[in-house]
Amino acid sequence: MENKMLEIINLVLDNRIKVKIENLTPEMHLRNDIGLDSLDLAELTVRIEAEFDVDVFEDGIVYTVGEIFEKLNR
Amino acid sequence: MDFFFKDTESCKHIKWSKLLDDIDDTLFYNKYCNSSDYYIVFRQIVVSMLFGKEIILLDADFTENELLKLTGFSVFEDFNETLDKSNFLMPSSKESLIERLKSTNNNWKIILFTSGTTGIPKEVVHNFESISRFVKFSKIKTICIWGFAYNPTHMAGIQVFLQALLNGNPIVRLFGLTSAKILNEIEFNKITHISATPTFYRLLLPCERKFESMQRITSGGEKFNERIKEQFLMIFPNAIFNNIYASTEAGALFASHNDLFSLEFGFEHLIRIENNELLIHNSLMGKAGSKVQEWYKTGDLIEVVCDKPLSFRFISRNSDIINVGGYKVNPIEVEEIILTHPGIINVRVFSKSNSVLGNVICCEVLRENTSVDELSIRVFLQSKIQEFKIPRIIHFVSELTTTRTGKIKRNYI
Repeated sequence: MENKMLEIINLVLDNRIKVKIENLTPEMHLRNDIGLDSLDLAELTVRIEAEFDVDVFEDGIVYTVGEIFEKLNR
Repeated sequence: MDFFFKDTESCKHIKWSKLLDDIDDTLFYNKYCNSSDYYIVFRQIVVSMLFGKEIILLDADFTENELLKLTGFSVFEDFNETLDKSNFLMPSSKESLIERLKSTNNNWKIILFTSGTTGIPKEVVHNFESISRFVKFSKIKTICIWGFAYNPTHMAGIQVFLQALLNGNPIVRLFGLTSAKILNEIEFNKITHISATPTFYRLLLPCERKFESMQRITSGGEKFNERIKEQFLMIFPNAIFNNIYASTEAGALFASHNDLFSLEFGFEHLIRIENNELLIHNSLMGKAGSKVQEWYKTGDLIEVVCDKPLSFRFISRNSDIINVGGYKVNPIEVEEIILTHPGIINVRVFSKSNSVLGNVICCEVLRENTSVDELSIRVFLQSKIQEFKIPRIIHFVSELTTTRTGKIKRNYI
């Protein structure tokens, strides 16, 4: 799952010509550390939902990579 | 705490006296306003009102291509003109400035561009009466502190700006800041009023802090999810929630505390209902281009709950225009631009509902060959249309999905 998430996040970054990341850690902040804005977060939810069938932002926004993992593991 | 405008992003803290000095020092005027600096936009609007000059608001992120299409120009320096101050009496105080602005000459024009129902954004022209019609005045209003949560060159932004300006309220920029900075600004400045899109509010969650200063939270467009509303009641325990109905041409029209809207006294003659569709009188819209019928069909369907006084609920909103986090996207405009890509045969642009932005733009593409990929389409579009209009999900298909009548489907993925 972590590798797939890294792949999805890098696809979103690449699509906006932003710098890709090499690895993913739970404490990474989606906006501040990875540099995703609200358009990117929207795309991220669509791609995560297509892959894992979970809308991670459904009940409010998530801040970190770890929070996404938590929702996917529920 | 009394100031005109504060913007932590550009380190600006503008007192009223500074605004007055800057107006006094202004020697040149340019009717085109195309700045990413909120203060420059606000100051230019104020100068245009004081001198009765036309102002044309352009989004700072319009591409060169969009500027050319909309105005015929992509640079505007040649439009600088010397400001004739020979008969101009400079306001000496905040109060006299506001009084002068309230009596802005009705020849003054403000022009903005909004996503129309066909092709490229269309020009909407307002005069002072039509754009300030819904500004409210009262003694209580003079002690508000506004969090500014819209793009300053859009209709909603202008309406919030005028509401604050004409009541002499301080304005604090919140739009475009990170959620942590927004919450800090609300706390530090004791902000009392915010009007914003549901997306703006959603991005503030989760939040464990409390802000007692907040008195009113206004939102429009999609309805607040009840769970999100509950969380907001915890964060802003003293706030009243307000729901507004706004159109891109006329701005905010009706307000309500729930999904039942009623008309304010004196506006009954300005709306009409035909076949359950809401029609608004063109005097509310300014002049949207040159071809305006007396009654404008909003495309929004309503259910009348009570005839006198009129109250109603919205059943469905105009479906072609896609609301992406408060930005209106016309799928036809996006399709037209995508079709200028040499490797693309056909395209269908549609929306998919999304928990972050309300909707995201998606498209299906019929391509010449596989060398046309997702990234190359995005790079192509980046120089042509604003970022929020670019499809976030691109599917490559061998034929486009159409309805049984042969029309392109827009609300289906």
